[in-house]
Amino acid sequence: MALPAELTLFLTSIVAWAALYLIVSLSLNLEFGFTGIPNFGKALTVMGGAYVAGYLPGRIIVQLTGIGGGKDYIAYNAEIVREVNVFLSQNLGYSAMIFAITILVAALVGAGLGFIAAYPAIRLREEYLAMSLLAMAEVGKVIGYNYKELVGGTLGVQVPDPLASVEQGILRFTLMSLIIMAFAIIILLYLQRLIRSPLGRSLRAVRDSELAAETLGKDVVRIKMKVLVLSSILGAVGGALHAFYTGGVIAISYDRVVWTFWPWVMVLMGGMANNLGTAIGVLIFVVVRQVIIFYKDVLSPFIPFDVVWLDYLLLGGVLIAILMLRPEGVLPEKPTYPLSKGILQEIRERVRSRISSETLEE
Amino acid sequence: MALLPPLYQEALIFSSLLTLLSAGLTLTYLTTRVPNFSHGSFATIGAYVSLTSFRVLQLTPYYLIPLAFVLAGAVALALYKLILKPLMNRGSSIIFLMIATIAYDMILLSALNIYADYLSEGLKVTSRYFSLKVADIRIGGPTGTPMVFYSSLSSAIAVIVLLYILLTRTRFGVAMRATIENPMLAGVVGINTDLVYTVSWFMAGGLAGLAGVLISLWFIGNPDLGSIILISIFAASIVGGFNNIYGAFLGGYLVGFAEVFGQYILARNIGAWIVPYRPVIPLIIMVATLLIAPYGLAGVRWRELGRRLRR
Repeated sequence: MALPAELTLFLTSIVAWAALYLIVSLSLNLEFGFTGIPNFGKALTVMGGAYVAGYLPGRIIVQLTGIGGGKDYIAYNAEIVREVNVFLSQNLGYSAMIFAITILVAALVGAGLGFIAAYPAIRLREEYLAMSLLAMAEVGKVIGYNYKELVGGTLGVQVPDPLASVEQGILRFTLMSLIIMAFAIIILLYLQRLIRSPLGRSLRAVRDSELAAETLGKDVVRIKMKVLVLSSILGAVGGALHAFYTGGVIAISYDRVVWTFWPWVMVLMGGMANNLGTAIGVLIFVVVRQVIIFYKDVLSPFIPFDVVWLDYLLLGGVLIAILMLRPEGVLPEKPTYPLSKGILQEIRERVRSRISSETLEE
Repeated sequence: MALLPPLYQEALIFSSLLTLLSAGLTLTYLTTRVPNFSHGSFATIGAYVSLTSFRVLQLTPYYLIPLAFVLAGAVALALYKLILKPLMNRGSSIIFLMIATIAYDMILLSALNIYADYLSEGLKVTSRYFSLKVADIRIGGPTGTPMVFYSSLSSAIAVIVLLYILLTRTRFGVAMRATIENPMLAGVVGINTDLVYTVSWFMAGGLAGLAGVLISLWFIGNPDLGSIILISIFAASIVGGFNNIYGAFLGGYLVGFAEVFGQYILARNIGAWIVPYRPVIPLIIMVATLLIAPYGLAGVRWRELGRRLRR
């Protein structure tokens, strides 16, 4: 039984946005929740990935095929990208190639941005770091908005569709959201393993007391740098996927509300330093927002202003309420064990039986 | 005839207004130890008071400065009393306090946007990207120096003088300094630290409201005016020294002049395309300060530095 088209689109958009925000929020959780780095410039890395997707794949195809006949890529963007999409719809291999290259380059750019962000992060106290990272993200937005060659400045650019060969419309959106969800799930599983590893325990040691971690021989600088590079890679991959999903990049959409503040809300709502909690936070957030967007037209005749602002008002209020009433979130941080529960139980049994046998001998 | 070349005039207006804002930011940071990310939006409140007074009430915005002061002050006070103080009492970490101020900024931003929508839909007043230069009085004929030049400069000077007198010549000012120095000890000797915090937040918000009214008379106003200028405010406070209230004045003029003149010089030598990249200037100043002299200009021990250089 086929679902009605509208409902399918609604569900796929929830899946896609949940997956995108899951990637970004998990990376924020790694920085802030586990390591205690207050990244108030999360938008910077997401933006970096999206800029790569806006800049690179279309130009690669133009270089390879000569589409557009040497016309300026930015000025004739809509025209050229339309032709590129026609070309991609017939060449599946090229589609896969540009998708893979874009994600890889986005990851590299993300790593570079993480390295830049690490420079202040290992030197400054929390409040100064927060201000610097916020300013860096704002400047990134200003550059993208004004440097036309990059992502078209005020008008933005269109991004070639790696799924151009499938039927446009519902099928395309469903496939795209499933691809993004696959990325998100892989990242979630990877991070779950990471936080159970010795490195994961070091992160929490650094967060809880840098001094103590240092006296125990942990290289705090290295750990922070690793975390920032890794989480920035994840953020940039999320940004590139977002660009592919929406099919366009415009610098102003990567502002500090949407890609810094909202991920913070999700992490804090779900529970910091708990990846599953973050996932729950993302889900609550995305479903509520999509429902608001879905019913926007129903709601708008009754209120004399743009519904978007109601949204902002609500989210600001919710976050303050969370901070005041339940700062640990829906799922609070739990002690994570290095081994699985079954093995731990077995060891416990063995130890217990040995103790009891020893007491019997006496 | 204008009194000064337009560029100097622009730089002095911008720097003086920046000074009013960064002084407030530093004041709240000194007392509560939280950098307030919603400080810029306090100024936007002033800008909208100004817009309302001119376009709706047909009054020169100068008459409503007291209202802007009290309104923005009350909004700042609400942030402290209703959000930050309860959070601090719970022992929340500084990261939580900062994110709370960002959340408050979201609330202010949406409230300002809703008000702007109300103005444009309900009262048919241009409420986005509005200019109120016509609302200003010109001294010495229609082409003379705008009043905002004198008023911004004199308010910056008045504020620094009044703050100096308050902090050094009054009992309350001494109590304030004691609270900044060591809140616990100040509380022990009977200083009402909560009152000190309350007054600081109200003053900080009020100064931002005053700056907002003046900003709207010279710059383009929009609901996100404050969040855009926020980076410049942070840069000014940091370069001056976040631990010294007078540093905010130094930093305000430094960042203001660097922005206006930097933009001008770069545009003339490199090309006009560089003009929109102005926000990069405060970022560079801010990052450079944090990496070279993290306590700002006021935190540099000049005498020791000189001795070391002479050697």
